[in-house]
Amino acid sequence: MQRFTELVVAAVLLAGLYATMAYGLGLIYGVLRVVNLNHGGIIMAGAYIGWLLHEKFGIDPYLSIPVVVAVSFVLGIAIYRGLVRHLPRGPAGAVQSLLLLFGVWLVLRNAAYLLFTGNDQTIRTEYSTRSLAAFGLAVSVNRVAVFGIAVLTLVVLHLFLTRTFTGKAIRAVAQNADSCTLVGVDVERIYSLTFGIGTALAGLAGLLGASLFSFNPSYGSGDLLKSFVIVVLGGLGSVMGTAVAALILALVEVFAILALPAYLTGAVGFVLLVLVLVLRPGGLFGQRVLG
Amino acid sequence: MKLLPHWVSRPALVALLAALVVGAVLPKVLGLSVYSQNQVTETFLFVAAALAWNWMGGYLGQVSFGHSAMFGLGGFISARLLLALHLPFWLAWIVGGLVAAAYALVWGHPTLRLRGPYFSIATIGVGEATRLVMTYWEDLTGGSSGLSLPITPGLKSELYWWALALMALVIAASYSLRKSTFGLGLLAIKSDVDAAADVGISPTLMQDIVLLLSGFTVGVCGAFYASYQNFIEPGDMFGFDRSISFVLMAVIGGVGTIIGPALGAVVFVMLRQYLIGSYPQLYLGIYGLLLIVVILFEPLGMMGLFFRIARRFGLMRPEVEATLEAKAAVGGGAADPGARQGGAP
Repeated sequence: MQRFTELVVAAVLLAGLYATMAYGLGLIYGVLRVVNLNHGGIIMAGAYIGWLLHEKFGIDPYLSIPVVVAVSFVLGIAIYRGLVRHLPRGPAGAVQSLLLLFGVWLVLRNAAYLLFTGNDQTIRTEYSTRSLAAFGLAVSVNRVAVFGIAVLTLVVLHLFLTRTFTGKAIRAVAQNADSCTLVGVDVERIYSLTFGIGTALAGLAGLLGASLFSFNPSYGSGDLLKSFVIVVLGGLGSVMGTAVAALILALVEVFAILALPAYLTGAVGFVLLVLVLVLRPGGLFGQRVLG
Repeated sequence: MKLLPHWVSRPALVALLAALVVGAVLPKVLGLSVYSQNQVTETFLFVAAALAWNWMGGYLGQVSFGHSAMFGLGGFISARLLLALHLPFWLAWIVGGLVAAAYALVWGHPTLRLRGPYFSIATIGVGEATRLVMTYWEDLTGGSSGLSLPITPGLKSELYWWALALMALVIAASYSLRKSTFGLGLLAIKSDVDAAADVGISPTLMQDIVLLLSGFTVGVCGAFYASYQNFIEPGDMFGFDRSISFVLMAVIGGVGTIIGPALGAVVFVMLRQYLIGSYPQLYLGIYGLLLIVVILFEPLGMMGLFFRIARRFGLMRPEVEATLEAKAAVGGGAADPGARQGGAP
């Protein structure tokens, strides 16, 4: 029972991080109908920016959140304005944008190899190994902090999308871009803003992930697939759906450790991805628009 | 002429035969060094693999990022057969290809109901899961230390002609898959799955057939690669880079055409040789840049460039060009990329 509770707690804490990165991917797909295959690249970039700030300037990873979010936001807007915008919209452009963003990912990965070599890196702070004890459970401080930041981010994002004019405009564009143009919403601006927010979430998730796990230039490819599982499972844009789906994935992954040899646990996410795509391509809760 | 189906044009047949004869006598006439002859063998092999990928990615519009699964499986099955049973290598290749095709059907039959980006991402999952399992399945793959095949003298120069034959078969198959009634069905599926089903084409059956053919051919290519390299290891055979290389060859050359992926494979092999020699740190990024540039400026790759030049000099009638481009276009025109076949999601 003790072990069971530990695993459930571990899964819940992990789910916060998963939800953050998946929401970024889902937001971009929901509004632009573009699968951001570069999601993993931005996650990796976020991890390295946090690491660089910590190594060179001794800035605590949690304090570098604003920097990472700002940089990945700008990077996302640059990618949208410079590349994605020039592709045709709709189904014909779907595969093209997939290949294009894949190319961007290859470039980012190669840049990281050149700058930081292919070695595994970690962000190590003095509280990295510290843990909290509550109800007879020991939980790492870092994991609790990551979970808290992730939940906070999702709440803020939910409020932004439902309570502000711009947020409502984003949801409206997701429903029908043409009608938005008619009522005077600058759709192009909303597109680049959404792409920026989506990549900013990826960058944040990368930074948070880097404070828990080691990473290298290929970091993020597994997270891209996990995000995709969650988006498909949870449906588009609903914060609750994303959170539940993230929890399901985290539970499956964590409990797979009990049933499977260690080397196979990495394959669980991929198998789940294929199963989900085949059995429930509309998501557990049906396809929903943002909000 | 009655011997041939109506869609086989005489010039195409003559061109293929001429290319074959040239390819067959080339090493003798030029007195190619062993090194360059091996390069040509490898090029032939990857032309075949890129064309087989293109049957899925170009003809059906289903871009696969997981073809390394079949490449690796074909390679390891045939290597095991060669080591354990000492079969003649062509028989081992065919068995390897058949196993790869069966595996392709196992994961592909369910996932091919997905369209566009959904299918592509599912294939990333398939490829990575296969790689993980295979790396630890030491009884089949030898784990991370890989498998060595016995080296027989003269094998590599013999394989040159086998590679030429393999490539010729695959080119002929590509041609017939494009021009035959079956090929027109594939084009209909790529343009609009639902409409194709409405006019009596069975997308499920046809996609499965293409997947089987593509999986088999890529499996045979993997098996050939195993014989050719003498040493294979799962990280290379099943690696994501391997899957990407098929995508790149087809995209650089021109997805959906026949000459395109073949040209793309030639360029890819030459480029890789050069880059690995000169800029081993940069080659991944250069492929990425190439992909970005191609998609952004000429989605039909080198073939698109060729069309553009032909148009500039008035060498091509506009209606011919329009048909060619419509056939080759990247991605399908399906109503909703997430929609499943035969109705609402």
